[in-house]
Parts: sequence; structure tokens; C-alpha cells
Amino acid sequence: MTTTAAGPAGASPAATDPTRWRTRDILVTAIIGVAFGVAFVGLNAAWSILAPASAAAPLVAFLLYGGWLVPAVLAPLIVRKPGAALYAELVAAGVSALLLSPWGPDVLLSGFVQGAAAELVFAFTLYRRWSMPVVAVAAVASAAAAWLHDWVVWYPDLAMDVQIARGIAMAFSAVVIAGFGSAALARSLRRAGVLEGFPD
Amino acid sequence: MLTPADIGVAQAGSLLGQTSPLVKLGLALAWLIGLLFTLDPGPPAILALAAILAGLTLGGIPPSRLAQAFAPLSAVALGVGLANLLFSASNADPAATELARVGPLRLTTEAALIAGGLAARVFAIVSVGAVFAQTTDPARLVDALVQQGRAPARFAYGALAAYQALPRLADDLATIRQARRIRGLRGGWHPRLFVSLLVRAIRHADQLALAMDARAFGSGPRSTFRPISWGWRDLAVGAGGLAVLGAALLR
Repeated sequence: MTTTAAGPAGASPAATDPTRWRTRDILVTAIIGVAFGVAFVGLNAAWSILAPASAAAPLVAFLLYGGWLVPAVLAPLIVRKPGAALYAELVAAGVSALLLSPWGPDVLLSGFVQGAAAELVFAFTLYRRWSMPVVAVAAVASAAAAWLHDWVVWYPDLAMDVQIARGIAMAFSAVVIAGFGSAALARSLRRAGVLEGFPD
Repeated sequence: MLTPADIGVAQAGSLLGQTSPLVKLGLALAWLIGLLFTLDPGPPAILALAAILAGLTLGGIPPSRLAQAFAPLSAVALGVGLANLLFSASNADPAATELARVGPLRLTTEAALIAGGLAARVFAIVSVGAVFAQTTDPARLVDALVQQGRAPARFAYGALAAYQALPRLADDLATIRQARRIRGLRGGWHPRLFVSLLVRAIRHADQLALAMDARAFGSGPRSTFRPISWGWRDLAVGAGGLAVLGAALLR
């Protein structure tokens, strides 16, 4: 922490500690969480259709998994503040729970572990590196946490090779959807001009 | 779908509606964690029934509202049950009793029992979530998180402000889709829609942040508009919920 007197919240970014959250950072991270919490309604519906189909095509549904991890990667990629991954994913999970997620309160637990795992990866870089490999590793870490969580809560009895195949499908989906997808979304948003005042 | 479910007056004034959201959240997580210790279908079935009965009587939720939550559930319960049935480790165990053989897959009684227990687990967890969501006002949840749970106020109220922008995002989505139709693009769903919506959402977040800063949001100690304090209901619901959990698990 610097000793600069942090002015009123939202003072010019240059004048304050770079790890301090401006009001704008909070609101943008939160609204990304809210937007994805709503998008999860669609994703949950798609999952509900695909998951029972796993009898015919095993594990295809897991290729959607990265969609749930996007807030944990996209929000930190935009605001670049400590805690953004966890905050965005928790807000998304909370909104999802309030909109009657088919996972009930477990979505909060999922959101917590997914956000925390991505957060750890960004913390290891001291929130300084935002290259594609770091983003991809964060996405995979988030998927790994989700994989373990789902193992304990929903799939405790699967054969080991199926667990591993499930993990590979999730990691692949995380890299493609949460990793490259978030990077592409951040690029689109930057081009649209709404990220003025955020680091790039 | 995009507009948050309003909590009716009956639900807000009911025993569960007046209980601190923090107690309900704690109980929901306690039941969830308790359920992880059993693969037997009995305890989740008891807990699901208890949650539904509590929601209908103590929570004042109209049965039709509660039923809405169970539509997507059946598919998810089926998905989880089926995955555990088809890919269970005990299917490969030669000592397990064979129940049926579907093509190359051998299904065993052991796997079917566990799959049934896990589908019941989905059912129980969703029941708890539905009762929680339909008796809890989001603003009250955030008040409780800040005042009773010591959550950081700026982040909690920031999230609430963003959440309350939801109806506006729904309006934005309608506008964006109309604009696409006027330009002669197909009216259905397209990934660009989501990007456009995120652009609008971030603009909206910027305006909200500016307005909140102008009112000195998070700049120091504030008084509270809706004070929440612990009461007898919290103790009663908390103790009752834990007792039901204990009874279901140790039955």
C-alpha cells in the first residue's frame, strides 16, 4: 500500500494506489458478474438438455463448461484488480442462485472455488501479467477447481478413466471458451470504446 | 426470465422471509455439506420434503411459484443420475450384481442405488435453493451480508446496484434486437447480441459509478437505511434447520 491519501472513491486513477478499487472498477466487475449470471440461465438450460443425452454421447455436455468460468477470467482481464476473479464469479453465482439455478445453493460453492482458483493464478503474477498463457492457465485452474468440486458433490462414484476424460473435456472447454473467449470479448469491448480508463 | 423474481408480500412477511438471510444461507450450505456425507437416497428425500413443506407453510410460497423451480431440475437430476449410473466405478467390479446390460455397458445394482441417491441429492439441494430464493429479497440479503456478515460494504452494495440494473439490461436487449431487425439482420440469437449487451452493461455501470461517487459512495462510515438485527426467528429457524439435518442424517 502507498501512503498517498486515497481521495474520495473514484478519484483519478493515477493519483491512487493501483490496487485500490475505484467505484467504477466495482460496478464494472459486478455488472459483468450480473450479465453472466443471467447468461447462466441459458447455459443451465443447454446443460439440462445435453446432460441426459450423455447416454448417447458421453461427456459432450462438459464442452460447455467453460461458459461458467468466463466471469472469473474476463473481469480481472478488464479491471486488473486483486479479487476481481473471485468477486465477478461470486456475483454471477449469486445472481444465478436468485434466478433459480438448477444447482440451488451449490452454485455459490462452485462460484467460490472457480473464482478463487483463477484468482490464485493472477495473484501469482502479482496482477502484472495478462498475456494469453497466463489467462489460459487461470482458465484451466478454474476448471480444475470445478472438476474437483463436481467430483465430490455430483459425481463421487464415476470410474477413474471417466473422471479423467471429464477433466480433459473441461480443461479444453475452459481454454477455448473462458480463455480465448474472454480475450476476444475484452478485445471487442475495447474496440467498442467502453474500456477507456482501464489499463490495456 | 431476465427480470428478477419479485418476492411477494406474503413471502416477505412470512417467518422465513423475516429470518435473517444469513441464517438461511448458512443453513442451505450446512444442508448441502451434510448431504455430501451420504449416498443413501433417504436423507436427501427427507430434506427435500422438509424444505418444500417449510417453504409452503413457513415461507408462504404459493405452490405454483415453487413448482416453477422444479421444471429444469428434473432434467439435471436425470443427467446426474444417468452419468453416475452409466459410468459408475462399480460397473467394472465383477463382484457387483449385474442389473442390466446395454450394449457394451454393464449396469449394476450398486451403481443404480448410488445414482438414485445422487439424483435425490440434486432434488434436495434444488428444493433448498428454491425456498431460499423465493423467500429472500436481494436487498435484504445484501443488508444482512454487510450488517451481520461484515462483508465489505462497497463490494456488496456495488453488486446490489448492478443486480438492480437487470430490468434495464432486459430493455437494452430488446432495443438491440429491434435495431438488428431494422438493419435487416436475422431476429434470432447471435453472439454479437451478447457483446452489444455487455457494451451497454458496462456503459450503464459507468453511469451508476459516477452517480454513486457523486453521493460519496463508500467514502466513510454511514448510517444504515434498513437496520437488521438478530431476533428470535433467527434462533428458531437456525436451530430447527440444524435439527432437521441431524434427524435426516442420523435417522
